[in-house]
Amino acid sequence: MALTGLGLVVYVVFHMLGNLQLFEGPHALNSYAAFLRDMPILLWAARIGLLSMAGLHIGLALQLSIRNYRARPLEYTIHRYRQASIASRTMAISGMALLLFVGFHLLHLTAGVIDPAFADRRDLEGYRDVYGKVVHAFQNPFMVTLYLAGQLGLGLHLSHAIASSVQTMGFEHAALNRLLKSLGPVIGVIVVLGNVAIILAVFLGLVR
Amino acid sequence: MTAHVMKFTLKIWRQSGPNERGRFVTYEAQDVSPGMSFLEMLDGVNQRLLGTGEEPVAFEQDCREGICGSCSLVINGIPHGPDQGITTCQLYMRRFSDGAHITIEPWRAKAFPILKDLVVDRSALDRIMQAGGYVSVNTGGAVDGNVLLIGKDQAETAMDAASCIGCGACVAACKNASAMLFVAAKVSHLSTLPQGRPERARRVTAMLEAMDREGFGSCGNQYECEAVCPKNISTRFIAVLNREYLRAGIVESGRPSEPESPHAESS
Repeated sequence: MALTGLGLVVYVVFHMLGNLQLFEGPHALNSYAAFLRDMPILLWAARIGLLSMAGLHIGLALQLSIRNYRARPLEYTIHRYRQASIASRTMAISGMALLLFVGFHLLHLTAGVIDPAFADRRDLEGYRDVYGKVVHAFQNPFMVTLYLAGQLGLGLHLSHAIASSVQTMGFEHAALNRLLKSLGPVIGVIVVLGNVAIILAVFLGLVR
Repeated sequence: MTAHVMKFTLKIWRQSGPNERGRFVTYEAQDVSPGMSFLEMLDGVNQRLLGTGEEPVAFEQDCREGICGSCSLVINGIPHGPDQGITTCQLYMRRFSDGAHITIEPWRAKAFPILKDLVVDRSALDRIMQAGGYVSVNTGGAVDGNVLLIGKDQAETAMDAASCIGCGACVAACKNASAMLFVAAKVSHLSTLPQGRPERARRVTAMLEAMDREGFGSCGNQYECEAVCPKNISTRFIAVLNREYLRAGIVESGRPSEPESPHAESS
């Protein structure tokens, strides 16, 4: 769980950084996309790796949930939490929401099934017009709402996930504990802010 | 000062045996002094039940000074009640407001089957200890004092972990009924000290396997266990446990297989 989760965390960080090239203009983003697509073997290796990591992550989550459900056959009538964070208590819900969101996102911006308008559009330099596709998508208030909700789920999931993985891997030191505990919220906020910046910049007309 | 007397409405889990169906029964606790402990308040209720010929409420208790780990009540949804760092026996009725409704449940976990009312069978924790929570020492004359010097910080860390009284509140509070904090405390205690080092790899593996066998859940790092632990054992020991387990995986992988346990009773 921790290893596959951390693998996916590394991916979302680089995904966000790559997408920030939107702010450098159409040429930067489109040539970056073309650069990724120029290496089909690496691209597909990465895609298969990511899919299997996500699959493994979900499979393990299910397996553990079933075991944990069985560990307490009769629930308490009253159960009060003392310090468990909201994020840690909603991991299953935020995880399932993320799964739905990622599925939608892949069909929408990667496969172009949901909105085929820009799927094969080329820009003036002959690259696939990823920039145009993103700008087109986030001028739509419905998409903006959906993607912002997805980011909320991502932020919530990450804020518990990262520190929890670190603990599971056994990293702990008196001098570092504060830092390790804050890794989740900090990385979560950075990733979400980066992604939200893209969505809102387009929606508010700062990038067109 | 006038003697202040309090009154409470208790909703208590009653279950006549391990395989019986349990239910909540409401009792009135009267003439409770604010200085009474929670268990003394229950003694009063039981005294009255005996008077009326009703079966008294079964609950576990022993030392009543917070060190034996016998008492095990979930009070209003929190193991050992609203105060932190104490056991149920050290919870005083002045902590509650007069006339309050108090719900009392047993520890709930598959690994802790209910024996009667509020009493659960916690021998699962003993079996985890039998799997590896010990050091093997040759018998003979006692070792001379100060032969084995142990640094102050090491001794303190070991003592922090060793203060676990095995009450099982960590399991009771955990969403997944996991015994990770208990196992973490025992493993960290012994692996921090030179006496425990030789067996550390076998110990952590055996204890974690025993934990899984008993049907405890897995750790989700919510740290509710730490918040209810009467001995304030830190969840950093869970990281230590995970580290020990990883280490054992590496160390043991290159080793010829050893007998399961040198102390296993032949059956």
